[in-house]
Amino acid sequence: MKVVTGIPVLDDLIDEIPNGKTLTYWINPEVEGDVFAMQTIYTNVEEGLKCAYTTITISPESILAEFEEFGWNVKDFENFEIVDLYSEYVGYPSKYKYSANPLKIDEVCGLLKNVLEEFDVIYIPISSIIDVCGDESISCIESIFKLVKEKGKVLITSFVSWPYPEKIKKIVGDLSNAIVKIGGIHHRVILGYYYGLVKVDWKNVKSKSILFKLVRPGGVRAYIPKILVTGPYNAGKSTFVHAVSNVALSVDRLGTTVALDHGHLEYKGFSIDLFGTPGQERFDPILRMLGKDALGVILVVDSTKPETFPRAKQMLESVTHFGLPYVVAANKQDLSNALSPEEIRKKMYLPEDVPIIPISASKGEGIFKVIDALLDILVGSWKEGENEFEIST
Amino acid sequence: MNMGVQESILPGVSLKKGSNIMIYGPTFAGKAMFTRTMFKKFVKAGYCGIYVLTRESAEQFIDWFGEEYDSNTVKIIDCVTKSMTGDAKDTEAIKRETVMNLTGISAKINKFLEEFWRKGNRNIILVFDSLSTLLMYLNLQTVFRFLHILTGRVKMTGAIAFYIVEEGMHDEKTIVTLKQLFNGMIEFKEENGKKFVRFVSPFTKTDWLEIHVDEGGVIIT
Ligand SMILES: Nc1nc2c(ncn2[C@@H]2O[C@H](COP(=O)(O)OP(=O)(O)OP(=O)(O)O)[C@@H](O)[C@H]2O)c(=O)[nH]1
Ligand SMILES: [Mg+2]
Repeated sequence: MKVVTGIPVLDDLIDEIPNGKTLTYWINPEVEGDVFAMQTIYTNVEEGLKCAYTTITISPESILAEFEEFGWNVKDFENFEIVDLYSEYVGYPSKYKYSANPLKIDEVCGLLKNVLEEFDVIYIPISSIIDVCGDESISCIESIFKLVKEKGKVLITSFVSWPYPEKIKKIVGDLSNAIVKIGGIHHRVILGYYYGLVKVDWKNVKSKSILFKLVRPGGVRAYIPKILVTGPYNAGKSTFVHAVSNVALSVDRLGTTVALDHGHLEYKGFSIDLFGTPGQERFDPILRMLGKDALGVILVVDSTKPETFPRAKQMLESVTHFGLPYVVAANKQDLSNALSPEEIRKKMYLPEDVPIIPISASKGEGIFKVIDALLDILVGSWKEGENEFEIST
Repeated sequence: MNMGVQESILPGVSLKKGSNIMIYGPTFAGKAMFTRTMFKKFVKAGYCGIYVLTRESAEQFIDWFGEEYDSNTVKIIDCVTKSMTGDAKDTEAIKRETVMNLTGISAKINKFLEEFWRKGNRNIILVFDSLSTLLMYLNLQTVFRFLHILTGRVKMTGAIAFYIVEEGMHDEKTIVTLKQLFNGMIEFKEENGKKFVRFVSPFTKTDWLEIHVDEGGVIIT
């Protein structure tokens, strides 16, 4: 039997989840991540595999309704079953063939092992089981992981990374053969969501981060983050966009941009779209429109022209209104009268924590440091997390 | 954008942005009504609000809120309806979750925060009514982990949040553990048929103030 994840890009990377393996969706607690396992289960149900979906903190009816909202009519398939640990927990008799009272962990463990015998692919929300049954239930979970390997089945789990003891995280991390991390890009609030493969022990793959949106119906859809490149007239925005992009296009007339510069960049596993805005004031409405969709802002200033800084500041305010993080590219550092980043910080009254990167867009110097600085703000937490696991390459 | 707003919650007490406050007292002391009245006052003053309900439905809350209810500025997470019927529909402003599904609650709060934030709203109030309901279904450790993340987010966002806890329903250890997460507490008591409230934090303690509670709201005398 060939089991897949059903998640865009992931299946291209890992091809399949071999029998006897466990794949864990490792979910940031502030991000809606249940859908990943649902999508995986549905995809395999459709392929005719026998799949079981365990629920403990959500009623089976709600789960089925949620599947349906995504357009996945699992109910209509005979090869799909719910494992109901919810009903008895809240004091109702269960209507489902497979059910147990989660307050009796041995009963739960026994049930899950039986289910494992009967089905090809099973889903268990590990962290929810720990939340309800207590930290001790990790030993039951350990035994299930081992059984999966023995019986040659496929286990899909989700682990919401609440601040559990390191020991628990380590057990789950070590026993999972593959880990897909699902996280948020945040700057005060969560502005976007991504997933990425951080561990896989049956194949050599390059790690990759993919931004996603949830679509109902549809499920997980990958999308490309937009970064806005803004700044005063003649600061070097178009030059910058062209210098960092793999492909780029500008609509210029008489040397000034009259529509958007658009560049696309593949960088450190991210697919990024850059939009350079025109610098002239009459285009400001476009700026506001773009800001709504963007994930971050690069403000390009001409370091030799302090008289343009007030205008730069004004442009910054119209986009940071949307709560977007930004970095400043202090351009034209190749010219002898260029101000230093610290002089610019003072003259523009920028807070200490705003990165100001000295660059020369025309010479291509320092330009990727700008992208790095922005990614660092956006996905800083991601990189932290990366160190938790070995990525096999 | 009005960054300076620091609505007062009791005479002489105003909160810094990013504060997490426990609302603590015996049942029927007027905690819920006090908290709602305060929430409404914040919203009227230009705040955006998120209300997490575990004891009544979104519809009941909106009824109470009355004509001033605006789904653009007041968002509700209803943890009652779904546990009972399972098929109530979500809307832009009302999301339903079962009370044990902390991941769902957490993700939904964050969705609303993002929405406010992207619209340029920086003044945000959050109410969790109540933690005691969560503790009926989930152990202290689990609830603590959830709150650890949530209070951290409130701090980072510069919102102001209130969490209702019933006195007398939990053991001492629970209360002590929860208190670590909060910057202060609005405490309630009832004596000789009269209701009182005060504010307590590591740095200040106000006198007890008498309050009058009815269906419409709370008046401090
Ligand atoms: N010396 C120097 N010149 C630069 C640098 N970057 C850009 N320029 C020059 O500055 C001028 C403006 O560059 P553009 O990239 O068109 O600037 P822009 O910000 O897109 O301008 P508008 O679209 O008109 O607002 C051009 O003549 C560039 O060659 C740099 O790093 N050093
Ligand atoms: Mg240009």
